[in-house]
Amino acid sequence: MKKLLFLLLAGIVAATTAPALAQDTIKIGLMCPLTGSWAAEGKDMKQIVELLADQVNNQGGLLGKEVKVVIGDDGGDPRTAALAAQRMATRDVAAVVGTYGSSITEASQNIYASANIIQVANGSTAVRLTEKGLPYFFRTCPRDDEQGRVAVKTLLDSGYENIAILHDNTTYAKGLADEAKKLLDKKDVNIVFFDALTPGEQDYGTILSKMKTKDPDVVFFTGYYPEAGLMLRQKMEKGWDVPFIGGDATNNPDLVKIAGNKAAEGFRFLSPPVPGDLPTKEAREFLDAYKARYQTTPGSIWAVLAGDGFRVIVEAIKQTQSTDTQKMADYLHDEMEGFPGLTGDIAFNEKGDRIGDVYRVYRVDADGNFVLME
Amino acid sequence: MEQFFTQLTNGLAVGGIYALIALGYTMVYGVLKLINFAHGDLFTIGAYLGLTLLTSLALTDHIGGIAGVILLAVMAMGLVGIIGILLDRAAYKPLRTSPRLSAVVSALGASIVLSNTIMLVYGPSTRVYPQGLLPGQVFYIFGLPVPVMRFVILGASIALMIGLYVFIQRTKIGTAIRAAAIDQDAARLMGINVDRVIMLVFFIGPALGGAAGVMVGLYYGQITFTMGWIYGLKAFTAAILGGIGNIPGAMVGGLLLGVIEALGATYISMAWKDAIAFFVLILILIVRPTGLLGERVAEKI
Repeated sequence: MKKLLFLLLAGIVAATTAPALAQDTIKIGLMCPLTGSWAAEGKDMKQIVELLADQVNNQGGLLGKEVKVVIGDDGGDPRTAALAAQRMATRDVAAVVGTYGSSITEASQNIYASANIIQVANGSTAVRLTEKGLPYFFRTCPRDDEQGRVAVKTLLDSGYENIAILHDNTTYAKGLADEAKKLLDKKDVNIVFFDALTPGEQDYGTILSKMKTKDPDVVFFTGYYPEAGLMLRQKMEKGWDVPFIGGDATNNPDLVKIAGNKAAEGFRFLSPPVPGDLPTKEAREFLDAYKARYQTTPGSIWAVLAGDGFRVIVEAIKQTQSTDTQKMADYLHDEMEGFPGLTGDIAFNEKGDRIGDVYRVYRVDADGNFVLME
Repeated sequence: MEQFFTQLTNGLAVGGIYALIALGYTMVYGVLKLINFAHGDLFTIGAYLGLTLLTSLALTDHIGGIAGVILLAVMAMGLVGIIGILLDRAAYKPLRTSPRLSAVVSALGASIVLSNTIMLVYGPSTRVYPQGLLPGQVFYIFGLPVPVMRFVILGASIALMIGLYVFIQRTKIGTAIRAAAIDQDAARLMGINVDRVIMLVFFIGPALGGAAGVMVGLYYGQITFTMGWIYGLKAFTAAILGGIGNIPGAMVGGLLLGVIEALGATYISMAWKDAIAFFVLILILIVRPTGLLGERVAEKI
């Protein structure tokens, strides 16, 4: 045990004295929750970024140098994250990927900003993070308000003109419903119905009958799967065949169990794709490599977005031929366009938010499976 | 107008279930002047026991369709009735001579114990009844589509309620229950075994709640361990609305509450549905503090 401790200490000393001879490495930081309640996410993030770094090194490295991943554990806790960020800032990293939770990222944002280090967050969807005007902050995940935009796009693309919006008065569902309504109000469609149901009940006959009198082309329900399942079933019993579209809180296989295959068929919902459904060639190659090395697939999309964070940093260093923060940030803001990420094309707007749709539309097929719609 | 009738049938279907659960509250209150807050959880237990019986015995495979469903409901009613008697023994009987408040607190505690027991036994996630046991036909009244099962639920509720009413009014045991409701000491002096009567009341009330649980499970398909709370609250409101302690009052109160909710949601606001129902309750209690059919002195139950 003592020997182990000594080796560990020696390792830490070696790691911290390394910068002196670091001429031939480029360091990229990864801040992730390796302990705490989100440790599973953090483990996936670490494995993904390390795999990608090895791939870069196998192809000759970056600017002729070896890429080295410096890992900091944020513990899924804002205080631990602030300490981890301060340590990371002293370790000569070109940029930092991470992290998962919004409040954790928020605790580290200003530390990286004052150290002039680029930060690319991967799972932090709170809108306010990019509303602070930080010049070196980016994120590869969607914002909470993006789901509303994708919902509206889906509704409009399907050609619906009379739309009913139903929420359940929870903060999340009402927020999504309000966002969708705000966007739809600007378009040439009618919102014929906007109201809330009481979650936890079992008879939604009243609500369905009331909506039916407004004769909508589609119902957009932003609440959770138990109510969605019950409504699908009761709608079929009434012989009403209006299509339903749900938000990402309806993404749960129990929905089909509650509604039954027949009633659930044709139900569509928005959700970030599960890693196995990622559409691009890059994603498939990456997933194969990941499976070969770790014998499993990443658990969630958020960890894969950390991989995209790493890849955009590498791309920025490659394109600008430097690790200068300002040059890289300018490239990411202005020049990067349609970069083929693992989760689809990547570009950033002036706030550092990702442009483009991460949300996908899923459809329930006749056997009750969730199928990604192209 | 079409809208009005559609919503009326929606309201009556939900109201029938409220009424059936309200009967359990009202019977226990009538005899013991005790509000059995654990009644909603007995209803939940009925739904879960129905699911267990259905999946483990494969009843409907052997007997088939409607007969199997009825047998299932009867079995669940019996089991929930026995649980009701045990509940009385454990939580209420030791407090029979204590102040009424103690028994109410004990009832709240029993409710928490029961709902958490269900969670530990069956798990916290939603459970789903197998589908296709009930006829899914829709039939048309004046061109309005109404699922057959809504009528079946309403009909079954009303049949159970009428059966109970006849039992209480016409049989000897029913007379004993009514006597115990009026004055327990006097009933005892007349040779009525009041303890036996109380036991019977704690069998019938929960059994009706269990029947409602099975009906909800069969029709809506989805059950959770917390559903007893919302149904219990509504049924309690229905019992108060009709005049607690009064059997026809529970029926009227339940159906009325269902209809008020449905019409309030339709013509005023859906999000305010519960608020509207409770507002009507307050109005009725201001005008008639004993509830619609409750009488000040006359016999309860």
